[in-house]
Amino acid sequence: MTIWEKLEQLDRRWIYLAVAIAVIIPFLVPAKFPISVSPEAQSFYDNVEALPDSSVVMLVFDYYPSTMAETEPMAIAGARHFFSKDCRIITLSNIPLGGPSMAEEVTRRIAAEYGKEYGIDYVNLGYKYGYVSVLKGMGLSIESIFPTDNSGTPLSELPMMDSVTNYEDVKFIFEVADNATADYWISIVNAGYGVPMGVGMTAVMAPKFYSFFGSNQIVGLLGGMKGAAEYEILINHEGSATRGMGAQSLVHLLIIALVLLGNIGFFASGKHRRRIGK
Amino acid sequence: MSGIEIFQMWLVAFLTLALFSFLYKDNPIYKLAEHIFAGLTTGYQVGLIWDTVVLQKLWDPMIYDDKWWLLIPGLLGILMFSRFTSRYSWLSRIPLAFVMGTTGGVFLTTQLHGLVLPAMKSTMIPLGGGGGFAEAILAVIVVVGVISTLIYFYFSKEHSGALGVTAKVGIWFIMVSFGAHFGYTVMGRVSLLIGRVQFLIEDWIGSFL
Repeated sequence: MTIWEKLEQLDRRWIYLAVAIAVIIPFLVPAKFPISVSPEAQSFYDNVEALPDSSVVMLVFDYYPSTMAETEPMAIAGARHFFSKDCRIITLSNIPLGGPSMAEEVTRRIAAEYGKEYGIDYVNLGYKYGYVSVLKGMGLSIESIFPTDNSGTPLSELPMMDSVTNYEDVKFIFEVADNATADYWISIVNAGYGVPMGVGMTAVMAPKFYSFFGSNQIVGLLGGMKGAAEYEILINHEGSATRGMGAQSLVHLLIIALVLLGNIGFFASGKHRRRIGK
Repeated sequence: MSGIEIFQMWLVAFLTLALFSFLYKDNPIYKLAEHIFAGLTTGYQVGLIWDTVVLQKLWDPMIYDDKWWLLIPGLLGILMFSRFTSRYSWLSRIPLAFVMGTTGGVFLTTQLHGLVLPAMKSTMIPLGGGGGFAEAILAVIVVVGVISTLIYFYFSKEHSGALGVTAKVGIWFIMVSFGAHFGYTVMGRVSLLIGRVQFLIEDWIGSFL
């Protein structure tokens, strides 16, 4: 049995172990890999920077807890960036599991860092079922869709919402998503009401959204943990995404090595000749 | 850290390790964690929908704001449950017709104005748009890629001759697209693993070091 045949029969659990080691090592022995900022992330940052101070913005928590590793650093960085510019933030969620509570947790924590007050500087509208009717309905009146905030306080009792009726009063929307709701924010809200929009999404979804960036329907795109790390670097506040990129880079190197090894083995063992019938 | 927070952290760490144990082999600990997740998700979702839809959008407005016309959509919603009986299942077609009609009406305009037309507009970039030679080349590549890919998915005629050659060019563009998707998917999956390891090392182990 040649070495290539032995490698082909390798128990896959050894590969799992190698991946686990590659992920764990950078946390024990911190190593910094260079992170370049993409034009999409730079554009996102520049557009938020260009917002007038005290602008009303929406930060949408359309992600499930299962993808927090990728999406939550974006939401945290977004909240930091908005609060640092004294923007007033409306948070909401179109997905039932976890969105409203994660919005609550993230905004309260970051607001405390910047000395912001609930009801004056930020409001959490919570979750409402039926995203298409929710997105369209807010174009007419946000209060008609969300009569109360996430904890049941009527919007009329929240000072920040006095000056907010519908999308006309919202200067920017940051949609953080791990599902198809991002498509509807673009096709319904951006196309219908012209609100500038930036999106942050899981890496799996990111390739599709490059076309929306190319067609200027979104002004910025953060893709996966890399996108989150880029944004953390831009706002000069390194967080969990930047820390995770060391492990990300090492695992990618491991995967590249395994792909190369697999291909070399395939050709060396003569399987390609048998497959093409020579 | 309070007692309940410590308990939460250990519970999360246990469930994380229980799920990872499947990588070694299928086992009862993994199954326990899987069932807990499935049960919690279903229970939470049912409670949330009951509160945000049935109570907030139907019951409360009817009872406290005298919006009795909401009985009509409420009744339509109840008709959906007729699918559970073979005798009356035809009644569910009435609310389904409303859903289909409203969805079609909303999506016709949003898909056209929000997706199709902007995508077409961004595909047809002027060659002399001021972006220089590289931009012009890119514009040509985009147009060639779009047309050849569309031709690949045109199955009404046999892919032979010029049509076949163009379809083969389309395959190359599709492969490049799949490659980008695959690369991003790998990054996404690794990110999720990193997130869990980050929790285990920084939060869980870090809490008792």
